[in-house]
Amino acid sequence: MTQRRAAFLRTTAFRQTLLSAALFALSSFVILGFVYAASAGMVVRRADAVVNDEVQVLNDRFQSGGIDNIRLYILQRTVGGGDYLYLLIHPSGRTLGNLSFLPDVQPDEEGRVQFTYRRPPAGGVDDDNEKEDRIVRGQIVELPSGYRLFVGLDVDDETRLISRMLNTILAASALALALGVAAGIFVSRRFVRRLDKINNVARRVRAGDLQPRAPRNYTGDELDELSENFNNMLDRVEALMHRMRHTGDSIAHDLRTPLTRMRNRLDEALREDGDLDAREQALERAVADTDELLGIFNAILSLSRLEAGESRASIVRLDPAEIAADMAELYEPVCEDDGLSFASEIQPGLAMLGDRGLLSQALANILDNAVKYTPAGGAVTLRLRETGEGMIEFSVTDTGPGIPDVDRERVVQRFVRLDNSRSQPGSGLGLSLVQAIADVHNGRFELNEGPGVVADGHGPGLRASLCFPKAPREAG
Amino acid sequence: MRILIVEDDREAASYIRKGLRESGHVADHAGDGEEGLEMARAADYDVLVVDRMMPRMDGLSMVETLRGEEDRTPVLILSALGEVDDRVEGLKAGGDDYLVKPYAFAELLARVEALARRRDPETVRTKLVVGDLEMDLLARTVVRDGEEILLQPREFRLLEFLMKHSGQVVTRTMLLEKVWDYHFDPQTNVIDVHISRLRSKIDKPFPRALLHTVRGAGYRLQA
Repeated sequence: MTQRRAAFLRTTAFRQTLLSAALFALSSFVILGFVYAASAGMVVRRADAVVNDEVQVLNDRFQSGGIDNIRLYILQRTVGGGDYLYLLIHPSGRTLGNLSFLPDVQPDEEGRVQFTYRRPPAGGVDDDNEKEDRIVRGQIVELPSGYRLFVGLDVDDETRLISRMLNTILAASALALALGVAAGIFVSRRFVRRLDKINNVARRVRAGDLQPRAPRNYTGDELDELSENFNNMLDRVEALMHRMRHTGDSIAHDLRTPLTRMRNRLDEALREDGDLDAREQALERAVADTDELLGIFNAILSLSRLEAGESRASIVRLDPAEIAADMAELYEPVCEDDGLSFASEIQPGLAMLGDRGLLSQALANILDNAVKYTPAGGAVTLRLRETGEGMIEFSVTDTGPGIPDVDRERVVQRFVRLDNSRSQPGSGLGLSLVQAIADVHNGRFELNEGPGVVADGHGPGLRASLCFPKAPREAG
Repeated sequence: MRILIVEDDREAASYIRKGLRESGHVADHAGDGEEGLEMARAADYDVLVVDRMMPRMDGLSMVETLRGEEDRTPVLILSALGEVDDRVEGLKAGGDDYLVKPYAFAELLARVEALARRRDPETVRTKLVVGDLEMDLLARTVVRDGEEILLQPREFRLLEFLMKHSGQVVTRTMLLEKVWDYHFDPQTNVIDVHISRLRSKIDKPFPRALLHTVRGAGYRLQA
């Protein structure tokens, strides 16, 4: 449990927030620290300038009126209190001014001294208990005849203000850090909770339950997007699982017929002990049955590969007219042999991306069906054209019985064979393969009513079309 | 003809071997790629039949090694795979033909015999002759018994292939692959229809038939 509670500490969100909080705290510390240093320097510089001016005044007085003139000046200046501090020290040790003594401090390289002295608060009584420590900054001047003079300025208020500022800066930085950490915990807790839900779904799916889906809040944020993708993936997995189960059942079901037939033939051959010819015939037909079975297996295999996207089809830029023309050339004699009239209308000069072998196979499957189901006297037409929407469309129309509206979606599924086709050879995989090939090419496979006239055993016909996007304009 | 079968499946190997012997060929067997390589180096074979998936050394590596040693013996690669790019891979490795399992023995035999003929020094032939049938590859004309026969381009290529393999059985799948360059089996017997068209042009008006149907296998053009 401890491990789970601390889980948010390990999350990326928490670490990110913590890092940015630390960076924010550090940068505010640096900026405010700079402001502090600049302000503190300003106080010092101002005090030094003021003291310099005062020393200048006193020097002038000494020049004009000697030490007495200074005494007089100091007396005048210290009567009403104020921020200026003076101390004149006679060589004998007697002092004059509003400072009681000069502490033993070493001046810095510019001859400045800074120390604390005690002073009653402004407007207070001159009582030792009421006095407060204050900071003064000033300069010591050696006058001729052994006098020493200190001139200073009380900088206590400014210094206090600056030091309060420093405290505030430190506190603000600490607060920023604390808030950042708190925000990090809050954000990552939420993050972890949402992530946990997705993880739970993954665990349940792994355990075999395909039903659960990751919760979504439809804000389109990263986790919502993850959930969406995750759910789409699960939908796809579920569909594939379903199809696999369905295919498995269908395979078992569909293979039973030829297998039974073959078994009976072999059995019959075993019993034909006298008639060698009959035996040979039975064996030959059994071999033909096996070939049919193997054909079905091969079709299943290529279909699975196509659907799983495993067959790395060699998609290249090609001219669909060549494919259509080759197919027309291949099937025209077949149609004529079957008493069907064949025509082709092929638009030249188009370009698409595709695999010649796969596209030819798709067309061959469609044409096979047209030949198989159109009664003699009918017509089969192969067309290639650019549609109004700028797609490349191969279409095969026939004048056979067609496929009823309700069955058109179904026949594309694996192993689906309509009742009137059960007597014909075939695996029920041909159109599934066409669909899969269309998918590989980002194309569309559609079945519609054909141009046939319903009469004399002819149906409305079928129009099978394959639409593909045109190839993008070639570079260069 | 001397043929080496390199195949790890003993039963499949003995099936091929038996069939080849019955057709009058000498057939040896190697159980894996390494053994096959040794045997191919040691003796002079007319054709190698090599399975793709084998322990120790797979068929493609074996063929690549041989080709690296300037051994040009024709190779038929057998494979249980069978997608187009597997075929391309097999041919790229140095195979001369590619046959997908399961296959009929007649198919294998026809391809092995076709490969053996390929070994004949490649002379630039401009004229093919079978009996009184003559094909001029430069002028693109066909004459039988002094009479010119007009053929469609595809019919010409079909006849050219048959004449180049005259006396041999060629299967429907071979024709579909070599003449049309399709590697799938259409449900309808498209090849039969095209053969019958060709037959009506080159055989029908003449007393003796050249284009024969071989039951259970394919066709043979023979004088």
